[in-house]
Amino acid sequence: MRIRPRFYIGGALIALAIAYLIVSAISSTSEYYLTVDEVGARQAELGRDPIRVAGRVKPGTISWEPNTLTLKFVIVPIPDPAPTAPVRPVSVKAVDSVSFPVFCEGQPKPDMLAENRDVIVEGKLTAGGVIIASQVMTSCPSKYQPKQSQ
Amino acid sequence: MPELGKLALAIALILAVYSIVANIYGVRRDAPDFVVSARHALWSMCAMVTIAVVALWTGLLRSDFSLEYVAAYSSTTLPTIYKFTSLWGGQQGSLLFWTWLLSIFTSIAAFQNRRRNPEIAPYALAVLAGVAIFFLFMLNFVTRPFDLLATIPAEGSDLNPLLQNYWMAIHPPSLYTGYVSATVPFAFGAAALMTGKLDDAWIRSTRRWAIFSWFFLTLGNMFGARWAYEVLGWGGYWAWDPVENAAFMPWLVMTAYLHSVMIQERKDMLKIWNLSLIGLAFGLTLFGTFITRSGVISSVHSFTQSGLGPYFLTFLIIVTLAYTALLIFRSSQLHSPADFESYLSREAAFLFNNLFLVGIAFAVFWGTIFPVLSEAVRGVKITVGPPFFNRVNGPLALGLVFLMGVGPLIAWRRTTADNLLRSFAAPVIIGVSTGVVAAAMGLREWYVMTALSLAAFVMGTIIVEFRRGMNARRHMVSERRAIALVNLVAKNNRRYGGYVIHVGVIVAFVGIIGSSFFRTDVKKSVHPGQSFTIGSYTLRFLGLSQIETPHLESATARVEVLRPDGREVTVMEPAKLFFKRPQQPATKVAIRSTPIADLYVVLAGIDDTGNTATFEVFLTPLVFWLWAGGLMMVLGTVIVMWPNVRERAAIAAALSATRDRAPAADAAPGGD
Repeated sequence: MRIRPRFYIGGALIALAIAYLIVSAISSTSEYYLTVDEVGARQAELGRDPIRVAGRVKPGTISWEPNTLTLKFVIVPIPDPAPTAPVRPVSVKAVDSVSFPVFCEGQPKPDMLAENRDVIVEGKLTAGGVIIASQVMTSCPSKYQPKQSQ
Repeated sequence: MPELGKLALAIALILAVYSIVANIYGVRRDAPDFVVSARHALWSMCAMVTIAVVALWTGLLRSDFSLEYVAAYSSTTLPTIYKFTSLWGGQQGSLLFWTWLLSIFTSIAAFQNRRRNPEIAPYALAVLAGVAIFFLFMLNFVTRPFDLLATIPAEGSDLNPLLQNYWMAIHPPSLYTGYVSATVPFAFGAAALMTGKLDDAWIRSTRRWAIFSWFFLTLGNMFGARWAYEVLGWGGYWAWDPVENAAFMPWLVMTAYLHSVMIQERKDMLKIWNLSLIGLAFGLTLFGTFITRSGVISSVHSFTQSGLGPYFLTFLIIVTLAYTALLIFRSSQLHSPADFESYLSREAAFLFNNLFLVGIAFAVFWGTIFPVLSEAVRGVKITVGPPFFNRVNGPLALGLVFLMGVGPLIAWRRTTADNLLRSFAAPVIIGVSTGVVAAAMGLREWYVMTALSLAAFVMGTIIVEFRRGMNARRHMVSERRAIALVNLVAKNNRRYGGYVIHVGVIVAFVGIIGSSFFRTDVKKSVHPGQSFTIGSYTLRFLGLSQIETPHLESATARVEVLRPDGREVTVMEPAKLFFKRPQQPATKVAIRSTPIADLYVVLAGIDDTGNTATFEVFLTPLVFWLWAGGLMMVLGTVIVMWPNVRERAAIAAALSATRDRAPAADAAPGGD
């Protein structure tokens, strides 16, 4: 197929426009997707950037006030799910050493939020180390994950 | 039964391998008996996979919990219909279901081509069997649906409550049908490349397959959106979740393909492009399965996490490399004698439409895999959410809609200024005046104004097209208006069915614009008797009622909806369900849909005393039209697919012409 040069120009212009849209949108809308441990390690550099944190709800910390739609709980790292993996000698540190209070206002409590449930929290980290969440999402209970086939 | 299913899958794998060998041997050594035998092997393979499917269904219906799959995805209290749909509720079952569809489609393709396409059909069937081998390998060795449990549980752990919904009963089969049927045109494209028979026979032979695939991809996406809207309870229907993107990308590429093959059929251009698009479409169906089945990108669909990723990735890489190599190998034969002449031509409009569609697909792909890429490159996962996809795809969608208006009206090859003015004057006036009216009504959002103007412009072009066709008919055969319209569509069903699809797309587009830009929501905790307002509605909470069945407990709120003048509109009953196995709550949304706006009431929570209920209420304008547009797209596709006697004759003629030309093509330079 022969395409005259000016069609390459038109095509290239469209391709460039798409590339520009992608690049500019990524730089303005992206957010860090971190584990609770990573939030702990990067606390200083995160500033007011929007973050998404995957963690587990610490038992006994959920407080839900339906009248004001205020949800509070503490998020801790999700423990390593792979006991079959070779033993890592360095992972002696206490599992619950890192934790962050989560504060979410104005959203209904997610159906599946419960103690020891894995959640994804979207929001910002305050200087005081509280995650002000705009959204709390629950992952489905692990029961539904078919066994890991290897 | 489990043993029978297991055995059937093993035999099916052997038959698939045999059919490849027999097909290739038969066509290379000119031994037609082997080609016939290969065909029979494929039909038998289909029978074997069917036996396996029936065996698993039997296990599900009988609640045979000795089967690990049944114990994991069903229970004695699960309603019978969902015992059926549990076949695709879990991983092993959905792969089995996939393989079943593939074997059925392969059998149909084998039947259709028992006398047609003697040179490329055996290769195409070998490619289809090759894909079947991959899935049968998975089912036999990696993720086995007939594994037994050592200890038989008394009760199964039940299907995920989110999947116990009628949209979920039909969404996966539609999507899978769309995915799997794309394999047929891909296989014929690959066969054309292998054999060097690079005319458009492969496209003509599989045109219906491609439309069929597109039809079910459309349905699958629509059903998925509808499911999200009714079940997930967040008021929206599309979240740019990786799994949704995985279903959307093949749809985009198939849409591009369906348009660009028209150029090849008409002008013998874009051969490499078409072969690339169908390869891309097939690759994306595999990629979609890879994403949903690997959990590589965290998604709300996390119940599909598993270790299948590496297998799919390997297969995907092999297919991509092999297909790309074939394309490069044949590239010298794929040059087209024709040429693009002008920007102002239908070819150019179609070419740019393709660029936009593939561009959107690429942007979606990039956004979907970005977390994985950023983790690999920078060591930290960075995600992009709906704002990314909306910002990139918003402007691209406008370009696409504009081209939808231009493409059908503009002339082939080149257009004169006179022609442009004649065709586009009315639509442009319609479009501009819509924008002006919208501005006069107080709209200030530039994107919405542009979008509505363009939508009106496209509608204008379609009306012009219909009028033109009807007038021509009335001139020639002096028919009444209504009859002229019916005959026009009936005699040119591909063309006018296509316009009906375009109308559906525009209607859905308007629905998407309205619902994305003008949705409002209110969250409120209230006692019985208290009320609150959203838009012009007042909602009064009347009270809760609780019901318990062996399967679930439910709490249903009664909410009275009142107009400003105090008249009752309706009583809505959003509910909260508590499934017993596993103990998991779910939300049942109450929706009151009107063409102007949907009132969407979620019972977000009740407190322990049962005295306070928390509601989340959305008022979503025009979302009704998204579903209406979807229905129109379905109607249009049915018109396009309707058998057309004249077209059949044309295909038969083209295929016999191909056969006559075949020796000449073999002798062409660069042939093998």
